[in-house]
Amino acid sequence: MSRDVREVIREEPLRRSRLLELLAAGPLTVPELAAAAGHPQDEVMIWMMGLRKYGYVAEQPGVEDDGYCRYAVVDGR
Amino acid sequence: MDYDVLVIGSGIGGMESALKLGDMGYKVLVVERDPSVGGKMILLSKVFPTLDCASCISTPKMAATVHHPNVTVLTASEVQEIVSDGGGGFHATVERRPRFVDESLCTGCRQCEQACTVAVPDQFNGELVSRRAAYIAFPQAVPQKALIERAGTSPCTFTCPAGIKAHGYVSLIRSGEYEKAFALVAETTPLVGSLGRACYAPCEGECTRGELEGTLPIRRLKRFIADAHYSVTEPAAPVHAPLNGGRHIAIVGSGPAGLTAAWHLAHAGHRVKIFEAAPVAGGALRHAIPSYRLPAEIVERDIANVTALGVEIVTGVRVTDLEELRREGYDAVLIATGTPVAMRLGVPGEELEQVSSALAFLRDVKLGHAPRLDGKAVVVVGGGNVAIDAARSARRLGARAVRMACLETREQMPAYDWEVQEALAEGVELHDGWGIGGFTSEWDEVCSVELKRCTSVFDADGRFSPSYEESLTDTLECDVAIVAVGMRPDTEAFPVLAPEGARTLKADAETLQTSREWVFAAGDAVTDPRTIAEAVGHGARAAHMIDRFLRGLVLEGFEEPIPVVDKREVLHRQHSHSRRDPLAGALRAASDPTDFAEIEPPLTEAEARTAAGRCLDCGVCSECHECLAACPADAIDLGMRAQTLAIDVGSVIVSTGYALFPADAKPQYGYGRYKNVITGAQMERLLAPTRPYNTVLRPGDGRVPERIAYVMCTGSRDQTVGNPLCSKFCCMYSIKQNQLIMGALPLAEVTVHYIDVRAVGKGYDEFFEQAKAMGASFVKGRVASITELDGGNLLLRYEDIDGGGHIAEAEYDMVVLAVGVLPNRDAARLFKVEQLRLDAHDYVDEVDPDANPARTSIPGVFVAGAASGPRDIPESILHAGAAVAQAAAHVDRLRVLA
Repeated sequence: MSRDVREVIREEPLRRSRLLELLAAGPLTVPELAAAAGHPQDEVMIWMMGLRKYGYVAEQPGVEDDGYCRYAVVDGR
Repeated sequence: MDYDVLVIGSGIGGMESALKLGDMGYKVLVVERDPSVGGKMILLSKVFPTLDCASCISTPKMAATVHHPNVTVLTASEVQEIVSDGGGGFHATVERRPRFVDESLCTGCRQCEQACTVAVPDQFNGELVSRRAAYIAFPQAVPQKALIERAGTSPCTFTCPAGIKAHGYVSLIRSGEYEKAFALVAETTPLVGSLGRACYAPCEGECTRGELEGTLPIRRLKRFIADAHYSVTEPAAPVHAPLNGGRHIAIVGSGPAGLTAAWHLAHAGHRVKIFEAAPVAGGALRHAIPSYRLPAEIVERDIANVTALGVEIVTGVRVTDLEELRREGYDAVLIATGTPVAMRLGVPGEELEQVSSALAFLRDVKLGHAPRLDGKAVVVVGGGNVAIDAARSARRLGARAVRMACLETREQMPAYDWEVQEALAEGVELHDGWGIGGFTSEWDEVCSVELKRCTSVFDADGRFSPSYEESLTDTLECDVAIVAVGMRPDTEAFPVLAPEGARTLKADAETLQTSREWVFAAGDAVTDPRTIAEAVGHGARAAHMIDRFLRGLVLEGFEEPIPVVDKREVLHRQHSHSRRDPLAGALRAASDPTDFAEIEPPLTEAEARTAAGRCLDCGVCSECHECLAACPADAIDLGMRAQTLAIDVGSVIVSTGYALFPADAKPQYGYGRYKNVITGAQMERLLAPTRPYNTVLRPGDGRVPERIAYVMCTGSRDQTVGNPLCSKFCCMYSIKQNQLIMGALPLAEVTVHYIDVRAVGKGYDEFFEQAKAMGASFVKGRVASITELDGGNLLLRYEDIDGGGHIAEAEYDMVVLAVGVLPNRDAARLFKVEQLRLDAHDYVDEVDPDANPARTSIPGVFVAGAASGPRDIPESILHAGAAVAQAAAHVDRLRVLA
């Protein structure tokens, strides 16, 4: 059962440090990040897009063969 | 008349109306509910059939509307009501909601947004991504000014008598900003560590999460940030701060009120000296609260925060002559002496050597002067929190038996229930419902406490007036008796400030000023015994008033919070709330206590973050004050309040647009449950230049979709949801999106499930054919259901009419529901006395659409755009032209009549 989007988004500041910590080791796709962090993919997606919007992460050029983008921590964040 | 025409709404119809009327020389007021003008069009990707950029068309109109010399625009504002003035014009009432940002100062730099600690769904991006409580609506917003979403004061913050921004520090802890959280509490009081341990936490009683699975441990979170701060910083050495124009202030008493007042006054640039009668500073914190609840070193660290500002504390000095302080050069004096006088029972034997007051006993314990009680029996008289503290302290001093005797029954006891439970868990015996007849002693050793049955504590009016059954008696033998039946201020020390016989010092409730204008009084000295947090709040208020007094200002302006948010509203923001286990309440009792070591364990960092993560952000903005610190223009103003404007206008144009069909009202399509089912409006955002994902991705996992289905007529032409009307533009926006998707994702396959395609208009059918030529497939027939498969793909079950009318199934990566439109019913409620008539489908009724388009049932009120029915952009603009002509004619008629 998926959680209410407001509840998921509210946790973005709580999850930020862990996601950035995982990405510090190298760029990851949303499913890879979700597996590493132990959270559902749709929740990680929404947190990642929030981090992207506020300049913490950015997608790498191009799309992987499996159709996913890789995200990396923006320098200085 | 203030304006010729009031235009309600600033979508394309409203902007067009305002601009045309402004160009014609009419004075126009535009009232827009959202923080930006532009309506829905500015959020689109491109327009059909030309595929021109929607932003490129909208933004010049938005800027022109806001900057037109004849047009005034109020954003974040709402029309409350409109009534006829009897002469053809109207009186309108408009509420300007506070933006909490000074528009004249805001540069639109978004620093506040970057710093904000509260994430909420971004309604301008279809809730596909977050925004912040402090935000600018969208990148092209006009005006490009920030605002802060505040639904009210969060209950935890609102209820805090100290005025501490509880929601604020919780949100900072959630973000991992522990030092900032400490600094936020320190904006209110230096006693962060003490309150984190000894506050009775009324905030937790009001926490909305308590309506779900349990309250947040707000007090323990405060302790966590104090411990975190004190573990990485050394106590700052006292400094002798320069005066910088400040004045000299004497504070009598170094308890929570005095220390907090000194903290604020020193920050304001004044030189403060605290006079404390006891041998050490801290008042009740240092002398009354046992160390197992509040270690002395924590109080010392809190006090060091104050002395680090240059505040001087002298101890062992009892001040009684206020005039002498005046003569010594103090410009103002604050009396914050608390309640140092123990109340007496007034019964025989109270003067016996074995009988002492709880205040004296606890002070001796805290200062290390109390003798051991090994093997002795102790009776504590009283049922309040001080009695509990005394009983538990006696156990720690080795007493073999500690009995509490109180008037009240267990349920009536004034002590907090959890404190009573903890005392009982530590072996304290409770004798409830007994009054004290007296104390006797034989051979000056064993003391007998004579009990008599209490039949009631309060009289019929609720006043304290105990009644006894004198024939029912008992006796408790003990070595030591401790009386904890109340305490009061030392009014005898300042007779000039205490009316005859009064228990407390007299001070104005708002200003805390006494009968001597340069003397203020705060805390328990004027309120009688209250909580530490209340004393802190009083101290902060006193400091504010003293500072204003010394600067020659009117004594007013102490922070008043905005009204508290309704908890039901908070809970109703979500369809569901998942359970987030609260921390198990830590046992704060030792079965056989032998020392005064602190009994409550600290939260670990992981526990603190998780606990803070349960916060519901009740008020939305948490008042963490990060925006205040970040704004380079000092534009943040949390003191802003709503304004109500009364405006006279000649004519009204209703341009309130349409509402979108809620896609979850068709549950068979799974919207809201299946993450890869989105609406057409959300796809507009994914395709727009300011798109939230920077490409088209599945919300469920971030994968580029390869097979995308469109389900047409979702919620339109559908009797089952009560909306039989065709929404007119869903076909065309879907066809437009098909082409944009195939442009953005060349490998994507797009299939449209439709009833029939209505491509009526210049170039529309050609546009449809173009989509087919690009590769879009069109399948005629209704979609019956959507099922989510493992991995997030979606199985559509549909009717294939052109394929023989059979039922078929197909798998897609992503489904777009082409939702229809619904009437915006808000407009009708604005008109009082005269009713604005709606048509059979609840759109604003045009009484003569053929001969007099835009006219409504109220003379002088006209409708523009989709408020009167589904219209696409060109039709809305055309219709606005009709409304403009009608309104101009009406205003001209009024001018002629005038």
